[in-house]
Amino acid sequence: MSHTQLESMRSDYEGCSRCSCCKWIPHAQIMSWRYAKSCPAVDRYNFHAYSASGKLNMALSIIDKRSELSDAVASVIYRCQLCGACQVSCQNYRDDIDHCDSFHVMRSTCVQEGFVLPEHLDIIESMKRDDNTMGMSKAQRGDWAAGLDIPDINTRKVDVLFHAGCRYSYDGKLQETVRKWATFLKKAGINIGIAGRDEACCGGRAYEIGYQGEMKNYAEDMASRVKASGAHTLVTPCSDCYYAFKYLYPKNNLGMNVKVLHTTELTDGLVRQGIIRLKGTVPMKVTYHDPCHLGRRGESYKSGWNGDVKLMRPVQFKQTGREGIFDEPRNLIKAVSGVELREMERIREYSWCCGAGGGVLEAEPDFAVWTAKDRIEEAKTTGAEAIVTACPWCEHLFAEAIKATGDTMKVLDVVDLLELGLGGE
Amino acid sequence: MLPKNVYKELEDILGAENVTQEPAILDSYAWQPALNLLKDAWVPRPEAVVLPQTTAEVQAIVQLCNRAGIKCKAFSTGWASYSACGSEGVIQIDLRRMNRIIEIDEKNMIAVIEPYVCGSQLQAECIKRGLNCHIIGAGPNCSPLASLTSGWGYGWTGLYTSYSNRNPLAVEWVLPNGELLQMGSLGSGCGWINGDGPGPSLRGVMRGWGGAQGGLGVFTKCAVKLYPWPGEEGAPKGMRGMMLDLDMETPKLHKLYYIYSPSYAMYAEFAHRIANSEIGYIHCKLTTGGFMSVLMPRAIKKIMKSKAIRATTKALQHCTSIALACHTEREFAYQEEVLRKIVEETDSFIFDWSKLAPRLHDTLLWLFHRSIPPAMIFRVGGNFLTSFGANEMYDMCVLGCEAGEQLKRPYIDKGIFIEDTGDNTWGGIYEGSSGWGHIEECAMYDLRTSRNPEARFDYLDETVKAVQEKTLGFSLASVGGDSYKYLGPVMYNYHLWQSKIKSAFDPNYASDASFYIPPYEEVVKIMEQEDKGRMFGATNLES
Amino acid sequence: MAKYTEFENIFGSERVETGKLALSEFAHDHSFVAGKTPRCVVKPKDVDEILALIRLANERKLSLIPCSSKPPRFRGDTVPSVANAVIVDLSGMDRIVRIDERAKVAMIEPGVTFDQLQDAAHAQGLRVVMPLLPRKTKSVLGAYLEREPSTIPKYHWDMSDPLCCIEIVFGAGEIFRTGSAAGPGTLEQQWASKQAQKSPMGPNQTDFLKLVHGAQGTMGIVSWSTVKLELKPTVQESYFVGAASLDSVLGFTYAIVKPRYTDEVLILNKLDLACLYAQNPSEIIKLAGRLPEWILMYSIGGYKDLPEKRVQYLKLDIQDQASKMGIVPVQHLDSVSASRVAELLTHASGEPYWKLRLEGACEDIFFITTLDRTPEFVAAVNEESQRAGLDAFRIGVYIQPIQQGRNVHLEFNLMYPTDDAAMVKKIKAFHKAASKRCMDMGGFFNRPYGLWADMVYKRCPDTVSALNKVKSIFDPNRVMNPGKLCYE
Repeated sequence: MSHTQLESMRSDYEGCSRCSCCKWIPHAQIMSWRYAKSCPAVDRYNFHAYSASGKLNMALSIIDKRSELSDAVASVIYRCQLCGACQVSCQNYRDDIDHCDSFHVMRSTCVQEGFVLPEHLDIIESMKRDDNTMGMSKAQRGDWAAGLDIPDINTRKVDVLFHAGCRYSYDGKLQETVRKWATFLKKAGINIGIAGRDEACCGGRAYEIGYQGEMKNYAEDMASRVKASGAHTLVTPCSDCYYAFKYLYPKNNLGMNVKVLHTTELTDGLVRQGIIRLKGTVPMKVTYHDPCHLGRRGESYKSGWNGDVKLMRPVQFKQTGREGIFDEPRNLIKAVSGVELREMERIREYSWCCGAGGGVLEAEPDFAVWTAKDRIEEAKTTGAEAIVTACPWCEHLFAEAIKATGDTMKVLDVVDLLELGLGGE
Repeated sequence: MLPKNVYKELEDILGAENVTQEPAILDSYAWQPALNLLKDAWVPRPEAVVLPQTTAEVQAIVQLCNRAGIKCKAFSTGWASYSACGSEGVIQIDLRRMNRIIEIDEKNMIAVIEPYVCGSQLQAECIKRGLNCHIIGAGPNCSPLASLTSGWGYGWTGLYTSYSNRNPLAVEWVLPNGELLQMGSLGSGCGWINGDGPGPSLRGVMRGWGGAQGGLGVFTKCAVKLYPWPGEEGAPKGMRGMMLDLDMETPKLHKLYYIYSPSYAMYAEFAHRIANSEIGYIHCKLTTGGFMSVLMPRAIKKIMKSKAIRATTKALQHCTSIALACHTEREFAYQEEVLRKIVEETDSFIFDWSKLAPRLHDTLLWLFHRSIPPAMIFRVGGNFLTSFGANEMYDMCVLGCEAGEQLKRPYIDKGIFIEDTGDNTWGGIYEGSSGWGHIEECAMYDLRTSRNPEARFDYLDETVKAVQEKTLGFSLASVGGDSYKYLGPVMYNYHLWQSKIKSAFDPNYASDASFYIPPYEEVVKIMEQEDKGRMFGATNLES
Repeated sequence: MAKYTEFENIFGSERVETGKLALSEFAHDHSFVAGKTPRCVVKPKDVDEILALIRLANERKLSLIPCSSKPPRFRGDTVPSVANAVIVDLSGMDRIVRIDERAKVAMIEPGVTFDQLQDAAHAQGLRVVMPLLPRKTKSVLGAYLEREPSTIPKYHWDMSDPLCCIEIVFGAGEIFRTGSAAGPGTLEQQWASKQAQKSPMGPNQTDFLKLVHGAQGTMGIVSWSTVKLELKPTVQESYFVGAASLDSVLGFTYAIVKPRYTDEVLILNKLDLACLYAQNPSEIIKLAGRLPEWILMYSIGGYKDLPEKRVQYLKLDIQDQASKMGIVPVQHLDSVSASRVAELLTHASGEPYWKLRLEGACEDIFFITTLDRTPEFVAAVNEESQRAGLDAFRIGVYIQPIQQGRNVHLEFNLMYPTDDAAMVKKIKAFHKAASKRCMDMGGFFNRPYGLWADMVYKRCPDTVSALNKVKSIFDPNRVMNPGKLCYE
């Protein structure tokens, strides 16, 4: 069978030196035996094939006609959160391999050749039917905002379109968080609006699980909604959506001609400008978890280079992950008086994944929870009472992991601290 | 394919999730482009891959291989082609699940580790305790156990932390026949403290200057020597950034300098004086050309067309990186004064990074301690090879620098190797006052774009011949593989003795010896052949 | 059986000894090892003769016992365990072939003694890394091959130090050179390219030196070796720390050994220090009565670059450590001068050999352990001595940090009079019991002389199996020193 799409990344596969740096956080940053590893997949399943290097090797094996795509191979490819930690570590030392792009191509190839997971099919079906990944009714999409009196973009133009995302829209345990974000921004005087039940999935998940064409539909839909809203800024509290807007859309020439911000980015600006004043004191020891899709994967797509030989690609076009959003959430946490931020060992560009991404939460829930538990263990070593993050998928999975272990650590979103810092409960 | 009953037995030993025969997964163990001296980056695919977690499981696997007439080959992190299977029909034992630091005895400076502990992990735990370990030049992603028992072992801190061969204490070893050997004090029930005896030291069987690279069974635990990490501060604090943008506070009494000497003779004299003075923690030749290539891989070719730049880089090539790491301010003051005295007396120039570029100083210092720069060689092309690098008096090692540069230049000009100004040498003096050391000559290339990648074998042949002609020791390129066919007869037939060891310890030839040596009878037959083939570039390692 | 003429054909008649007196000298030594009378003593002068002898031994199934040191000998390793053995007396091969001052290496033959080499080294501003006051007749090569610990742990990077390379004729009858001496290239070519046969590793993927090290001559006969030398200090200061309990000096010992502050550093009990310092029994007893129970002795040195400053900073840094621990280093203990002891440590023992000065005989128990465990071993040996009805005062204790402080060589010197048969019997029994006790406690007897061999090897059958494989390769016909170690 011809694998044209896989073949397009041949140079990336062949570049792999099999040094295994993709399995560790960058070595300069390793401060303990326990928290040295970066790749949940190989850490859990152990065969080299599960690592970034291993997946590249497998792809090369297939296009070199040494082996074929099979259920077992597809299973390895799907048991990966696409968290990008491997890319950060590898690109610390070299410039010519784009791991996550390679994995996208592998997944797309799996889908094209019929190696699909039923759980992923469910996601796609749900998207097609109800414009969300959660298997919920479209009619209920905007229910999270009930009573908040946030302008509907169908009825008026706004400066900032607030995109809640599927998880926040439908997860009953997390709706309070998105309500807080929207309320917070509104109170800060930001002219935000929402699409309510007309909001649809960003399509990012579909892309990540191999259904690249599906995302195109949602991206176009998103673009037209932005245009219709009149907004110059699109803000979202969901890190996955943020990544889709900042990286996947531009990579696939699906521009929206709008400034994209995460809620923490926007809010950080407001606090620094003094528009939001945090007067309360919150005596709490917390640690911050960098969501993959806000941090290293939240780096904007660097367009502009069209060469063939990545070794010759200038460094400014390399997706190192360093330009993701790391400081803004931390600034906000530190802005709340009384909060002590205690960093974990694996942070920022080399943060350990929560476990939810890449379709793993849906298809391999045990693996997802296993990954999250490792993160909670790490959080506990800091002595923090709460793990704070800025992504609904992380929050959901951490809560699941804590429930499974009977732990007492709290899971908070940044906005929870901000709200407390305003002087509220 | 493995016989069904053998596969089933492996599953019974390990659990089905820890055994695989899936071709694509097996191929993730067969892509081995690094330090690959074969014609293809694809090496023989293993028959199966197994993931043991305990020594008992390793024994069971090896015993099964002996019974079933199948070879096996273990690796730890599995980087570089000599960790891979050398022929069809070999079971690859991936020791990833054996990843514990068993104990650290701070008082007596000993750690006991399993195969999949990587250098960074061990160093991180050591530094917490005011200690350090030897990390090899290949990088902190490598396994100290693998290097100490089975590899080579040069490292940046060799001046203070020696060489891998000199670092093991007691070792737990599953022999090729599946028996367990507890070497040294361990076998006598005396813990891990010593690796030699009773009587003769079996460390001599385990490895020599180079290790058996998987050809003599499986090492499942190793006690390693630790060293002081001077100062109270422990690891660098407040680390931000990733690599060259690192920002951190390094320990106060650790400092890095570059020393530029006017000639190779003075460079060697500087090293000699450092050894005699018993100062320093890191001593290493710096490769100006190599660093330039790594920092400017896209521009280097263009830049090196300039005669002026070539002349400048040539003038700067006699460069030493030396770091001090001291316990007290008095010690530091003394060592720095001696360093500056030696610099002056060798007509050299000192570049004190801590004063000129403090942030870069801290970055470089930490990167060297953690042996990170070698991985950057991938920026340039993804592959490199090495040659020269014999282990002897540093004066001899320095002679190899010029020889290597001259040999390599034509290959760079022909586009076989990537431009590195010709000088891509690395290595320093080891063990304090001893004065012995090594300098290896690296060459970088990209299999994807090199004009004639197989020409690298001609280069290696030339280097081994040059090393012989100029009597520059036993080069790195000569360890393992087929070099024994040519070097053995002129070096007291070491190959025959080594092959007898192989026969005695591996009677069923169950350990894949592609990077070690075949059993005695086979070596005798090979040596009787008129055409013994070339030293490098074999398509099939098994003759 | 070879005829004497066959030996004479190799060595000439003047170097083949068959006289009863000469033979009886080799039939026993100061150890408790019971030996057999050899059939002759041969005295080779070069490697060709050694090679011829070993080939003859293989042909004629002879037993060869290499011996580098002149008497008195102490370990029993050169005492024949079988009848009709041939002693290969290498003491006459006593050339210092070469000293390379820049490389700090000496190439020596087996018969070179410590004082001989030290004097030559001193003449070039270098020094030999000494064991503790070896006897005058002790072979340097013999001591190093048998892992006699050296008194300067900072130079002890690995157990085979300060040995570098050797030329050996294996029992199989082949010449071999280890480490970088193996080449490629002749020695002359290697010297011309600035090599000095300093790397002990290899060649290639086997460490042949390690297979010979500690082998008690059971693998072959060494014809020369290269040994590391170090710079002779141009400035030196020496100190004692006296203590009533061993525990109280351990922390300080760790503090000065691990950062490699010291040159010589060792711990002796009062008896051992008195024996090596005083000259006769009454002086020894008087002196021992005035010394503290335990004495740590160390030296600090400066070499070529700013030597005084080196000594000065070391002194102050060590003083800081001492102050933290409430310890006061001194330069004299009673009449004993630390600098004088340091001087003594640079040469072989004066006559009589220091271990024999008190009682005329001495049997040692020694093994490897870690410094922190030494008090428990000392207590155990004291208990055993009481059980044996012995005076603990007669037991000297020597603690030598090795491998840069990771291990110690712990040695008990049992001094006894040979003219007291009952005492001799007690000492023998005590030696066995105390050895077993220390073994049971985890003391690593890595030099299995005499009765230790059986005791030690019973505990490690896997090692025995492996060593027999090695023996079968390098000495397949078992000609080399049969009956020693663990060979079948």
